[in-house]
Amino acid sequence: MLGATHYFVNSMESETKAIARGLRQRDPDLLDRLIEQYQHRLLRYLVYLSGNRELAEDLFQETWIRVLERGHQYDGNHEFSTWLYAVARNLTIDYLRKKHPVSLDGLMEDEDHAPLEPADTRLLAVEVMEQQEEAERIRAAMVGIPAEYRETVVLRFQDELALQEIAAITGVKLGTVKSRLYRGLKMLTSRLEGLQR
Amino acid sequence: MTRDLHDEARQLLALGKDASEAEQRWLREHLGECATCRDYAEAARRAIAAVRSVPLAADSRLVRATQMRVRFHARRLRETRERMWLVGIACLGVGLSAVPSALFLWRVFSWMGTWAGLSRPVWQASFVMFCIAPVLVVSAILLARGTHLTSGDEPWK
Repeated sequence: MLGATHYFVNSMESETKAIARGLRQRDPDLLDRLIEQYQHRLLRYLVYLSGNRELAEDLFQETWIRVLERGHQYDGNHEFSTWLYAVARNLTIDYLRKKHPVSLDGLMEDEDHAPLEPADTRLLAVEVMEQQEEAERIRAAMVGIPAEYRETVVLRFQDELALQEIAAITGVKLGTVKSRLYRGLKMLTSRLEGLQR
Repeated sequence: MTRDLHDEARQLLALGKDASEAEQRWLREHLGECATCRDYAEAARRAIAAVRSVPLAADSRLVRATQMRVRFHARRLRETRERMWLVGIACLGVGLSAVPSALFLWRVFSWMGTWAGLSRPVWQASFVMFCIAPVLVVSAILLARGTHLTSGDEPWK
């Protein structure tokens, strides 16, 4: 058991080191693979962070350009996803600050855009409609939560990141992550229950 | 003042598996006794399940476009790096050739100064001016038009 754990940790370390090495060399094949591997997780995070699907797609592309440019800064000692999310987050904040002089705390959804769309379009029309309604209900609940709480909720419950990883991405203390998680979940629960009634 | 027990229970619910063994045991006991927190726990579980259920995915068009853009940008960066390498080599060549050139010019200025009957500080100052004049001219031109380093930000997209 201990041997298996040791093997797992070692193989994970060697993988992150290999990613770091590839990023330093700006290996395009590695980047292709990473883009495919993290496509859904990264886009989902950006959609919830920015509150806008179109903007999230732009930010998605810009994030990978930045990964290419600053890949040498990734040391391979931590999970690649943590570093990737931090890059995406900083980029989003920079962009939003340039566009509107607000912090992430003040970021709210542009109501004209529907950020959540069904992934599979090969469903029956009724199922698609139901799925869209459900997605819309969740979207409305998520959008009503302040961005810093929304971000923590998404990272924790959708991407299932550890609290320490969330702290590293968001650049806040562990206690703040816990508090945001608690408040975010409380707000989300009350909004979802409220919208359901 | 003691903390509200219900709030504490809800905080532990948010932490899930990250709560310690003792905390989880306390939470289980509390949920066994408190119907309000039990209802909240059920509602929170539904909320988490709802967030996880949203089928949000990147489409292949976006992925392909990103991969192409990244490849193109990588090539451009590589070309820029190669150009900078050439510039570096050129600078090194210029630097190395400047040493014998400076020695030769120093002798020329010395000979001309003696021939023209100029004092030593005068021809030495002339030599310094001769050496730094091109740098001053180029600096003045760059300052007048603004350098590429200070030109505007890259467009967003």
